[in-house]
Amino acid sequence: MTAAVSCRVARDSALIAGRQLLVLRMNPSRLIYPLVQPLVLLVLFVSVLGNLAVTRHAAAGSYREFLIPGIIIQNAVLTAPTTGLALLRDAGSGLADRFRSLPMSRAAVLIGRLASDALIFAVQAVLLLAAADLLGFRVRARLPGLVGIVAVAVAFGLSVAVTTAWLALLIKDPETAERVLFFPAIAIAFLSSAFAPVGELAGWMQPIARANPVTAAVSLIRSVASVGPAAFPLMQLGCWVAGLLLVPGVLAVRRWQEPS
Amino acid sequence: MAGVVKAFGEVTAVDKVDLTVSPGTLTALLGPNGAGKTTLVRIIATLTRPDAGLVRVLGYDVIAQPAQVRAHIGLTGQYAGLDEALRGRDNLVLIGRLAGLRRRQAYQRAAELAGTFGLTDAMGRAVRTYSGGMRRRLDLAASLMTRPALLVLDEPTTGLDPASRQQLWAVLAQMRAEGTTMLLTTQYLEEADRFADVVHVLHRGQIVASGTAAQLKALVGGQMAEIRLDDPAASSAASRVLARRLSLPAGEIRTDTGAGRLTLAARDGTTTLLAAAAALAADGIAVADLGLRQPSLDEAFLALTGVTA
Repeated sequence: MTAAVSCRVARDSALIAGRQLLVLRMNPSRLIYPLVQPLVLLVLFVSVLGNLAVTRHAAAGSYREFLIPGIIIQNAVLTAPTTGLALLRDAGSGLADRFRSLPMSRAAVLIGRLASDALIFAVQAVLLLAAADLLGFRVRARLPGLVGIVAVAVAFGLSVAVTTAWLALLIKDPETAERVLFFPAIAIAFLSSAFAPVGELAGWMQPIARANPVTAAVSLIRSVASVGPAAFPLMQLGCWVAGLLLVPGVLAVRRWQEPS
Repeated sequence: MAGVVKAFGEVTAVDKVDLTVSPGTLTALLGPNGAGKTTLVRIIATLTRPDAGLVRVLGYDVIAQPAQVRAHIGLTGQYAGLDEALRGRDNLVLIGRLAGLRRRQAYQRAAELAGTFGLTDAMGRAVRTYSGGMRRRLDLAASLMTRPALLVLDEPTTGLDPASRQQLWAVLAQMRAEGTTMLLTTQYLEEADRFADVVHVLHRGQIVASGTAAQLKALVGGQMAEIRLDDPAASSAASRVLARRLSLPAGEIRTDTGAGRLTLAARDGTTTLLAAAAALAADGIAVADLGLRQPSLDEAFLALTGVTA
């Protein structure tokens, strides 16, 4: 029974993910924004801030080396709300009623969406790393390092995406959701070590930044890039990712299937 | 279903409804906007949970066994359950596969239904390029991918132009001939009249009348006599004359003073009509036009509920 159920979840999730990818293939214009925006932001941030050497960290390496992992994770944070908004758009359409009236897995709508979004996160990270390489960002361990960084970006992005899915379904109104989701996304990127070491932040920010999953993800990428100690950020990020995928994930699925 | 109740806040959308749909028949739920039709349909399709009452669909309880219910029904909702960004074929295949069909089965069934619904040429086009009628037909086809034992349709023809409506009716008639059990909601008496084996009239969440279309019409009082006066100013006087000479209660005669039009139930068909004409002539009230016609939904509601729909 359990095997049959999980088989059904996997199959239906694959079908839903396939639907998303087919939509992108039929409407390639929808790919321009998620693929071009990160590159533009990378170039802007690096051009404006990349040559600063005002932080203590700058003594160890260039600020550019410090900034680029921050931008990779900032991009995941900024992309994640599209998951919630897309799910909310589906929820309000006749298609949601269609799905709810089918004998399909309830969780598949979310899992399938996350699976196709994982691909977007991965492609974005690869593009950013390629562009960062041109800007002088070096990953010491080469291929394993690059794969590791992409994995961190995807895992982190999905955990935020699933949270936005739950929040969007909770908020219900698409316009409110858009504002409510994007603003904290920007805030959590700044309340972290993405742009400056925690020790350089305003005093009240420091405890928040230390607990922030953005800090964990960014630190982990920095460690992977420079082959530094990775155990603590890995553990911290692992807890965050597991917690967010599980708790908001289950709540979002419940919210989706709930009969009105 | 028995004793089904559903309230949204202060509004009781469905109020103690008992309803049985016999296999192989087409049952129509007839009622105006806000009568509770959509809520009933959503309860049957497991999209809304009833507050009270028992609902069994093909023997499965909608609350305890929603998965079994979903496996055996097809739903065509009021809003098309389609992905606009995908092609017609992609939609049918996706929905068929999510309903449990294998890949090849889904493609075969999609092609078969496209033929039945006259959509074969449109299968490779994105749904957003479809007309309203095509969209409805594709949506209906999607509901039929798994050959459901019960097909539930919520206002399938609302918002369609007459030609598209005719096409959809033709498909429904064919499905009915094939023995598909169907439950459809409609605002149109004509639609219920034309297709349904059984009609339930829903008003403010309650079933106020049930029967075949013919039985319901008899309840309404059969045909209506409509008389248009030469001089609209004479309307009130004419109404009084008719009430007196035909010994009708004043409430039986609807008077539109602006148009000079009087409407009453023609209980004895042309005899009533002729008697009314004679009565007016005797009092010297000139008649411009008169005739018999079928009762409209408004009149059916007036007769069955005592309030205007």
